[in-house]
Amino acid sequence: MKIIVTIKQVPEADKVAVNQETGTLIREGVESILNPFCEYALDMAVKIRDENPDIVVEINAISMGPPQAKMALLRCLELGADKAFLLSDLAFAGSDVWATALTLKEGIRKFLPNFDLILCGKHAIDGDTAQVPAELAENLGIPQIFYGIDAKVEKKKIRVKKETENGFQIIETRTPALITISKGPSNIRRLPSMKNIIEARNKPLETITADKLDIEKEKLGLNGSYTQVINIFAPPIKETGKIIDGSDPGKAAEQMMAFLRERKLIKFEVD
Amino acid sequence: MNIVASNIIYSKKVEVEPFNEIRKIHGSQIISSDYPAYLVDESKLEGTADWLFFPKSEGEIISIINYLREKKIPAYISAARTGIVGSSVPKCGSILSIEKMDKMLGFGFDENNGNYFCRFEPGITLKAINDKILKKEVEKVKELTPNTISRFIKEKKSYYYPMDPTEMSASISGTVATNASGAGTFKYGATRKWVKKIRVALAIGEILEIQRGKYFASNDGTFIVKQTDGTDLVFKIPSYKFNTNVKNAAGIYAKPNMDLIDLFIGSEGIFGVITEVEVWIIEKHPLISNVLFFNSEENALDFVKKIRNNQTVSPEFIEYFSGESLDLLRNIQNNNPALINMPQIPFKARSAIFFDLPYSEDNLVSYFEKIDKLAKQCNTTLEASWSGYDNREFARFKHFRHALPETVNSIIAERKRQYPDLHKLGTDMCVPEEKFGEMMKYYHSVLREATLEYVIFGHIGDNHVHLNILPRNTKELKLGVKIYEQFAKKAVEYGGSVSAEHGIGKIKVDFLKIMYNEKEIEQMRTVKRALDPLLLFNCGNIFEMKGV
Repeated sequence: MKIIVTIKQVPEADKVAVNQETGTLIREGVESILNPFCEYALDMAVKIRDENPDIVVEINAISMGPPQAKMALLRCLELGADKAFLLSDLAFAGSDVWATALTLKEGIRKFLPNFDLILCGKHAIDGDTAQVPAELAENLGIPQIFYGIDAKVEKKKIRVKKETENGFQIIETRTPALITISKGPSNIRRLPSMKNIIEARNKPLETITADKLDIEKEKLGLNGSYTQVINIFAPPIKETGKIIDGSDPGKAAEQMMAFLRERKLIKFEVD
Repeated sequence: MNIVASNIIYSKKVEVEPFNEIRKIHGSQIISSDYPAYLVDESKLEGTADWLFFPKSEGEIISIINYLREKKIPAYISAARTGIVGSSVPKCGSILSIEKMDKMLGFGFDENNGNYFCRFEPGITLKAINDKILKKEVEKVKELTPNTISRFIKEKKSYYYPMDPTEMSASISGTVATNASGAGTFKYGATRKWVKKIRVALAIGEILEIQRGKYFASNDGTFIVKQTDGTDLVFKIPSYKFNTNVKNAAGIYAKPNMDLIDLFIGSEGIFGVITEVEVWIIEKHPLISNVLFFNSEENALDFVKKIRNNQTVSPEFIEYFSGESLDLLRNIQNNNPALINMPQIPFKARSAIFFDLPYSEDNLVSYFEKIDKLAKQCNTTLEASWSGYDNREFARFKHFRHALPETVNSIIAERKRQYPDLHKLGTDMCVPEEKFGEMMKYYHSVLREATLEYVIFGHIGDNHVHLNILPRNTKELKLGVKIYEQFAKKAVEYGGSVSAEHGIGKIKVDFLKIMYNEKEIEQMRTVKRALDPLLLFNCGNIFEMKGV
């Protein structure tokens, strides 16, 4: 069984601030990490392998990104992936979700054909768009299931437990299929052993440039992107509310009434 | 003529600020009701005081000292109160809190050794220091050597102050006054060697500016402080041999022809108030954290010996978890895995070693292969380990290390409900390397025979582990206290120290007597009387002494 996990290297989102004047991200001193939801997807792949000892399961991690994204792929290799592929080329720079999905699709078609399952994180914590997985599935012409929290392999089928607003659904589909993962099999992040760290560095990690993919230049990177980020800004700071001292309930109630009346939020008068 | 070194130092007068403009609280009741935090430290020893001062400058400190000297009011210096032996707990009189003095003052570079250094007010925390240095927020401070700050900011390398006594909320002067150490002492030594210069306010109301390498005791051990009024403070340093064979924080540091700065470092504030500190900083290298599990304590101890003696592997620190410690953590993990936030501790593990190594992709594999060889000789493999090098992973490893003492504290807090007098018995003894294995066996055999609950963890790289006894009732507490004393005596008998890092403070004064005889303690008192003739400062720390 061949599983592909698509991953993205992201800045540790909670540490990134926005420069209000220039509208750019202040990334100084902020570390890049493997997107946590992508790590959940990898964890799910490892779980499938562990639960099916009688099947040969090969886990392939693939990413599109700058050369330093290798470190996120290395983490995948430490945590159980067998092979890793980095689609990296200046021609890919500025890709929006569409161009990214197209590039990933070509990478998969060319270097990882005959796969059974693609697992993706439900979204990346930096862009939060959650569109690449859907577009990738459409491009590849395979079924997609979103917000998976568990997955079980049954012959040529995959049975997925997915989160819904009101609870969960269990959906079954034939493979090959694409599933996005919104929660890992464990609440505790896995850690590689020192042995895993050594082994990861002996596993294949291939860098693939634009010329190895059969995509016209105008469909790559900024040229191939239908959308562009024009500005990034921090959400406006909400005004803080007014706190009324409640030690004297009578006074507090009066103040609250005055506040509501002033803003015409209350119409009736009390005798 | 250029005097290179001397045993004579001149104290200086500084501009004294008006006493009435200093922020102060008067009255023991208001202090205990509104400022209770100033009456305790992490030892939970509680004190009392009539005055609480918040000076903002050296001139205000001198003003306070002059007032206290005139009124014969003792002073207890209070920094961040992260100590655990009651050093900052006031017995009476006044509290001199230096917390408002928390700025970085200067930045410089030493051409001779090629290192940067920083000057700080005494109250700045270690965390604030490292935030500033890592982010290179030094534009606004005084440039102590020409063209240094712009060069520093342009540098691609990261720098930091490597002292980490676990509590990064500790103040710089507190760590100097206690010669603070921690896990990293294994590689970087204790605070002492990082201190370049200090300024100290003496009881006479004058300042000593002590730069390392300038003032040394004469051959007969004498120092002379020349005051501005022409009189001299003359004193001899103690003649005992301060134990430097082991990590040691017990008693006043002394050695022949010693540097005057070393007398003040680790003196627990009994000679004066530190008003300014200059320390060296160094380049910060990426690290990888590792926990390696073993099936017995012997194997873990053997591994420590091997890694310590291996010239090619250079750990930042080596920390220990005994089997009892792992059992305690397993219990927590079974009930609430998120509290530990680490993968399941391997079922068969009976001890673990935690060590950070320098991390670079170029040599990581060869480094780990060397560790692999050592591990196999100690009957374990690298499979039984955890490893991480992201910042967020470091935080997890650090949390794992702290989870154990925190768990011990919460167990004791729970038992305290039934037995209010109960407390944890945390030891801080250290023995020479050749005696370490024997000492560990001794700990286990005595405690198992007494059927007391205990855990052993800590700085095994420095042959310095923390043994925590967890009494289940008052009877066990009494027995534990007796056993603790027995261990302290054994440690000294083996050539070790009763306190490797916590210091003596007020709660371990009796333990000092195990290490030093009365004559030696009297030598410490003699220095105290010379530098602080009215006995104003921190009386009761290190040895018994009635203050003013």
